[in-house]
Amino acid sequence: MAGFPPPGATILGDAAAGKKIDEVGKKKVDYFNLPCPIPFEELQREAISIVPNLHMLSLKPELFEGMRFDFTKGLNPKFSLSHSVFMGPMELPSQGAETLKIPTAHYEFGANFIDPKLMLIGRVLTDGRLTARVKCDLTDDLSLKANAQLSNEPNMSHGMVNFDYKGKDYRTQLQLGDGSLFGASYIQSITPHLSMGGEVFWAGQHLKSGVGYAARYENDKMVATGQVASTGMVAMSYVQKVSEKVSLATDFMYNYLSRDVTASVGYDYILRQARLRGKLDSNGCASAFLEERLNMGLNFVLSAEIDHKKSDYKFGFGLTVG
Amino acid sequence: MASQAARGGVSLPEKRPPKRQQPDSDTILAKLTNSEIVSKGKRAACDTAYVTKRLLRSTGKAAWIAGTTFLILVVPLIIEMDRDQQLTELELQQQSLLGAPPVGAPQK
Repeated sequence: MAGFPPPGATILGDAAAGKKIDEVGKKKVDYFNLPCPIPFEELQREAISIVPNLHMLSLKPELFEGMRFDFTKGLNPKFSLSHSVFMGPMELPSQGAETLKIPTAHYEFGANFIDPKLMLIGRVLTDGRLTARVKCDLTDDLSLKANAQLSNEPNMSHGMVNFDYKGKDYRTQLQLGDGSLFGASYIQSITPHLSMGGEVFWAGQHLKSGVGYAARYENDKMVATGQVASTGMVAMSYVQKVSEKVSLATDFMYNYLSRDVTASVGYDYILRQARLRGKLDSNGCASAFLEERLNMGLNFVLSAEIDHKKSDYKFGFGLTVG
Repeated sequence: MASQAARGGVSLPEKRPPKRQQPDSDTILAKLTNSEIVSKGKRAACDTAYVTKRLLRSTGKAAWIAGTTFLILVVPLIIEMDRDQQLTELELQQQSLLGAPPVGAPQK
């Protein structure tokens, strides 16, 4: 779900992480009434579509491989249960050019309680993992988010707590994780269109620490962001809303310590019955993700990813009910 | 014909060492086949065949990459846009069908 990055990944500011923040407020030219900027987290999850107050990720759909089936049953306006089956290969990190895939299957049972002020989500998987997420609005401006994962395997259990404070035209976030992970971020609106911010993190377990800065400029039709971190990451992205249904996005990521460069281009078509996202990468990767509404409450999902360099092909399909 | 392809590049095969002289280079046919022009022509033909093979192979590879990428990125888009257009047409038709009667009916 949007807004909940895996614990540990957010603060370490890696190429894939470094998210915080979001939301576009209303615009006024009065400098004492600047809009509230988007949370720092979401800045890096680029390609945020320009529909005001609704952010969607164009360049990073949740691609998957295998079959996925999700069923959500609402028992109450606030409480619902979810059943989910997944069958497919899971990739194992392997040294060498060959990707190691092992077919796995699991069933996941979950319960969600969703209230305007409090959201509780819990999931249990048949491979022995338990995840829990809490999002609570303590006051109008202060909110608490926590997530935790317990697992059978040693060293795979972790938890994280975030405190978000939203001021008139700024946001701050404090993040505490297990393994003495500590992070803080701040973002401020400078003009109705421009906002800038910074983050600091310290990971005690890996003895890493870093600082990062970000800037975001937005318009009715486009959003441009830039981000630099002391972990060596430089990222820039640009999203343009070409029409009501179409957005195009492009992304550039450069790590000046490891000299890794990645550029990607993508499109996002939001039609009435379907949503199609496609992306082409400079690593020789082409991917597409289609979500189609077959009926009321019935969604069909198709995911494809072709990596020409590694000759790795992943295709997945799924059904989401409810 | 060994090819010494440099990193990322293609190069023609090395020149072969010159053939040793045939013993009876007196007959006209032998003289002809041993002449410079013929051997140069033979080399040119081999090089052409080699280059054509490489070109064909890289064109084939490029066509495969372009084709599969097109299939993944563009074909679903065309299909979905077509469906959306059909839906719009249908709705327009329905609208025009339902729009007409209320105007003509209560004229009794």
